[in-house]
Amino acid sequence: MKAPRISRRTALRGAGGILVGLPFFEEMAGASDSEVPVRAFNVFFALGIPMPLQTEGYDGVLEPLKPLREKLLIMRNVDQVRCDEAGINAHFDGASGAFTAEPPNGEARSGGPSIDQVVRHHYYPDGQPAGVVPTLAGGTYFRRSRLSRFVHSYGMSGTVAAAIQERPRDLFDRVFGTVSISDGSPDEGKQRLRRSVLDSVVEQYLYYTGANSPLGAQSRARLANHLDRIREFEQRAFTPRENASDQPQLPPRSRVAHGGYADPGGEGIDMVLDDLTTEWRLMADVYALAIELDRVRFGALTFLAAGERLRITGDYEYEGRKVFEFDDAGQRQASGSKGCSHEWWHDFDPERSNKELRAHAHMKMREIGYFLKRLDETTESNGKTILENSMITVSTESGDGRHSDVKRELSGVFHAITGANGRFKTGEILDVGAEGLDVYNTMLETMGAAYKLGPSDRERQRIDAIRA
Amino acid sequence: MRTLLFRFAVAPLGLCLVAASSLWLATAKNSSDRVSSGLLVLYDFASADGAVVADRSGVGRALDLEIADLEAVSRVEGSIEVTSATVIKSPGRANKIADAVRLSGEITVEAWIESSSANNGTRATVVALSPKSSQLNLDFDQFSDRYEVRARTTETGTDGLPATRVEHNTSSEGPTHLVYTRDRTGRTRFFIDGQIALEESVAGSTEGWERFPFGLANKMDGESPWLGSLHLVAVYRRDLLAREVQKNFLVGPDFRVDVTELDDSAADVDLFVTEVAPLFAEKCLECHNSSRRSGGLDLSKKEAAFAGTKGAVVVPGDAAASQLIEQIDKGAMPLGRPPLLASEKAMLRDWVNGGAIWTLDEIAQVAHVGPEQANDVWVQRLTVPEYIATVQSTFGVDISEDAANVLPSDQPADGFKNTAYNLNVDLGHVNAYAQLAQLIVSRLDVEAFAGRFSESQSLADEKLKALIDQMGSAILRGPLEAEEFSLYQGLAAAVVSSGGRFGDVVGYLIEAMLQSPRFLYRVEIQRGDGSAWPVGEYELASRLSYIVWGGPPDEELMAAARAGELHDPVQFDRHLQRMLKDPRAVARSSQFIEEWLDLERLENLQPNSEMFPNWDPRVAGDMRAETLEFFRDVVWEQERPLTDLFNAQFTYVTPRLAEHYGLETDGLDSDSEIPARYDLSSTPSRGGLLTHGSVLTIGGDAGSMVTRGLFVLEELLFSEVGNPPPGLDTTPPPTSPGRSNRAISMERVRSASCGGCHSRFEPLAFGLERFDGLGSYREVDAHGNALREDGSILFPGNAQPVAYAVAAEMMDLLANSERVQQSLTRKLTQFALGRSLVDQDEPFVEAIHQEARAGGFTYASLIKAILNSDLVQTMRTEA
Repeated sequence: MKAPRISRRTALRGAGGILVGLPFFEEMAGASDSEVPVRAFNVFFALGIPMPLQTEGYDGVLEPLKPLREKLLIMRNVDQVRCDEAGINAHFDGASGAFTAEPPNGEARSGGPSIDQVVRHHYYPDGQPAGVVPTLAGGTYFRRSRLSRFVHSYGMSGTVAAAIQERPRDLFDRVFGTVSISDGSPDEGKQRLRRSVLDSVVEQYLYYTGANSPLGAQSRARLANHLDRIREFEQRAFTPRENASDQPQLPPRSRVAHGGYADPGGEGIDMVLDDLTTEWRLMADVYALAIELDRVRFGALTFLAAGERLRITGDYEYEGRKVFEFDDAGQRQASGSKGCSHEWWHDFDPERSNKELRAHAHMKMREIGYFLKRLDETTESNGKTILENSMITVSTESGDGRHSDVKRELSGVFHAITGANGRFKTGEILDVGAEGLDVYNTMLETMGAAYKLGPSDRERQRIDAIRA
Repeated sequence: MRTLLFRFAVAPLGLCLVAASSLWLATAKNSSDRVSSGLLVLYDFASADGAVVADRSGVGRALDLEIADLEAVSRVEGSIEVTSATVIKSPGRANKIADAVRLSGEITVEAWIESSSANNGTRATVVALSPKSSQLNLDFDQFSDRYEVRARTTETGTDGLPATRVEHNTSSEGPTHLVYTRDRTGRTRFFIDGQIALEESVAGSTEGWERFPFGLANKMDGESPWLGSLHLVAVYRRDLLAREVQKNFLVGPDFRVDVTELDDSAADVDLFVTEVAPLFAEKCLECHNSSRRSGGLDLSKKEAAFAGTKGAVVVPGDAAASQLIEQIDKGAMPLGRPPLLASEKAMLRDWVNGGAIWTLDEIAQVAHVGPEQANDVWVQRLTVPEYIATVQSTFGVDISEDAANVLPSDQPADGFKNTAYNLNVDLGHVNAYAQLAQLIVSRLDVEAFAGRFSESQSLADEKLKALIDQMGSAILRGPLEAEEFSLYQGLAAAVVSSGGRFGDVVGYLIEAMLQSPRFLYRVEIQRGDGSAWPVGEYELASRLSYIVWGGPPDEELMAAARAGELHDPVQFDRHLQRMLKDPRAVARSSQFIEEWLDLERLENLQPNSEMFPNWDPRVAGDMRAETLEFFRDVVWEQERPLTDLFNAQFTYVTPRLAEHYGLETDGLDSDSEIPARYDLSSTPSRGGLLTHGSVLTIGGDAGSMVTRGLFVLEELLFSEVGNPPPGLDTTPPPTSPGRSNRAISMERVRSASCGGCHSRFEPLAFGLERFDGLGSYREVDAHGNALREDGSILFPGNAQPVAYAVAAEMMDLLANSERVQQSLTRKLTQFALGRSLVDQDEPFVEAIHQEARAGGFTYASLIKAILNSDLVQTMRTEA
């Protein structure tokens, strides 16, 4: 990797282009060393793994997850067919169903909350400790025609739980950045008055979110969220900073396209593999650092958007061996969207080798594994790593990318979960053969959350096989 | 001002009471006989014990009352006798009454009482909505031998004076039915025992009503005790009609409330719109639509559904004779799908047995599927352009560049960026709002700004309070609540105590107001009884201005709201016409077309360099400008029907764009970067939005027939198609010699597996075949294949396609299509409301459409129809 890895250690060593010092992190951090907080994160990767390849276990495209196999439960045959929405292929609705098991409810809204948010609301109904970002959403993605393609944390109303950060620097800033209410003046009197201004603003939000508010339930919830952000703003603005001598380095600037330029009309963009993985690993590093420093306990991380269209080039290596040479457009002899790696999913044929698709899926597992390993590096007070202590759910949009059979496309959606501090089985590959709703509700119940996803009159089935 | 219109002589008391008693005693005592529409609170004193008097209206949050001194009352089932001075009041504020009356501008207070004395020789308050005599919303008193109501309006004092007084010698000791009503125009009436006793006009509106507690048998301060028995007290948010007053009188006071009977909101719901049509759309119309008519049945239209071709599909009033019910009962339909749920079958059976009332012209499938049809109401945050416009209009400060830099951009949802549910906030917003507030104040001459509202720069309480009142009302787009006053006064005091001067005080106040939810959101009263309530004057002013201008009400509109004029259709229209002449209306309409067609996409156009080696990225900007200028010309310069957007024979091009399109550049200033109007009357192949590069580029580099056709189908014809059938390779083959895009497309259209759907949308793009992926015109493709421009359109809802020979004919067909008009109606309505349309909206959207058509279907007529609609004039409240 060309970019430096960002970790707690490098955060201490940093020397320039700096935002916040580690003492400041620790002052703002929510939990003491003796506590292991409840955490839940959703990790999304694009385009899925066709069901036949999932059956190969760790010998196939899942090879990069093999070093973590004792800490993962691989779940096959998770059925998300109920997420299908007529008129649209499964990239969008399957992505919306990942971590929610519900079909989309509009272009930027899921049919219900995601599992991380249900756990969050159960454990922290009145908010998390000061200094903890309520929900952190980040990702490396390019296709962006609909939010549900890349946002994977939804609040209880089904709307996005947090604005997604797509640059490592933005993610860093969201977690560790400071804000200032000063206009640059060192005048303490002005500072005090600005605080009074903010106090009056808080009072107004309290009124409009309170019992006497004229607003309806959804609107009050929206303003309550705004109020939470104001409190976060206050907390950052008024927490005294230590000196800047031991601050971490900002992540380097992104080298890949962002914003509208990253998605020119759905036609896809050219991408050098090393640029992609450098960007992603910076994102993964910052996210992992935020978890490590207890600055975030809930949220989602996205590695490529549902239906992502990239024309990737570059040598792909794993553990020192060359796995494949990516050249999507050249190998497909096509330009535009037809020259994108996405097309390998359209072409999948279980009777053929599918070597290009395998290489791409393998690469995605390598990158997901990178993030998970980062979380496995820190041991907490109970002797387990962050990875083991957290509820981390890895999933994707479909179990078959051919768009030729909704049932096949959405009935075998890959899932992997971590143990959540001994709550779930790990070290197995399980054919659960159940609806995503039942799997997620079992996870929520096991986490202690009473809220149930899905229709209230639906007969539920607990999947005991996944519980420890 | 108070104008006495009528004062009625009341019949001799004894006679009247005998007549009254015999009337109501003789009738059934059933709560369902009482008027329930608009009810806010109802006290029937059903309980014989305890210190609580329950609000049994069943409307919103119950406003229960507490008896201060239980020793002072005697309770029996059905009434409460107040034997000595006490007060029966709500522990908190009566928000639901104050909010509702402020919005509706109307009120009715009804009471069945028995006074302990026909002439108590003093003022005694029966019903109070006030903390004290000098500051009230309404006090309903027995004053010696008559009744008197003090109701505050914008034209009275805060004490409600002058009062509405009936004649002397009208109060009595027997059971008496008293009703005070006031409508939005100020017409005030007083009824005694069902007969009108007084009618007068009281000027002003109820906009200034505050959230005070509600009480009975005294004022809150205990200064005006009333003694006697209360049998019933009710408050309505509307002016009851005389016959409704009489109806309540005839029911009498002695009845028991059945709360479920009072909740009539559910009865208002149209079963067909909210239940039947969505079910048909989801489960039936894929096959039984106008074009497929599987089994000869079309369930999208009433006539077709009721007729069928193989017997009576739906027999109104007789489910047993209806084939529809028979088929679903035995599970034969939906074919190949899971059977309907028992509850769905029962609902359909009930609908048929109930007469099979069909209230839509046509069930448009796309209107009833997709986003959840829930009645959820989201407060509207200002979008980035709205924030900029609001700051500009309120303060005269241009913050556009800074706001664009620091405010997180709004993300589109369901086609537009102002979709309320997706207008979230993150830390970045809060940080930006704080930064921008400081920046705005720094760029403002705060003292001059304050001078618009007060000549005084005094920091004395009263002067400052007046300034906060006026300035706050302007910045926050409506009067301040009492809590807000206190808040801003407190902030001002903090600044003063820190040594701040007048300018500092104003500056910090503005900073606080700029971060207030009242500034950043369009706060409206959303809580009520679950039914639609008329929006208040200030809310209507904001709705009007944000829909037409994308910015806040100007001073004239605020003045009209203050005067209570905006619910007067004449005044409302006067303001609308004035506002449509303002450049802000043009800018707002540009936002609509920009978002609808996603013109922002053009900034990121990156065509394949091998296919388009000569591509100049500046052309993308020219395409965007072309569409915006063309739209402005059609809509505002020529005021043509919106459908002319599809076949108007002119456009706007730079020389660069003209060359790109293959148009003659003679007459164009070769150095100009500004698009000039270009006459296309001699270029029939091009003309209308669909021939703009901005639209043609949606088909990607290859000018995909599928993508272009789907655009026409979904965006212009308001329809959709399902997924590709199983087993299909969706990768289109490339063109080659002898195989043009059209030829490939026709293979799909003729294919047994694809044609069912592709025949519905690919031919819609045939007329565009001669335009390449970037909108250039050519008659042969890169392989020398001749390109055509003939085709056919199958309008959704029609059984047969309509053929066209050339592209211009296709554009004319679209321009003349009511379906296209309906689509435009829906798009603009959605943008205006800031939310996706739901089932319940359908009858209103249809009415908007018809009104706009009657007005010539111009942009102005459509906006006017939207604004006149209940979708804008009312708020769906939450119970």
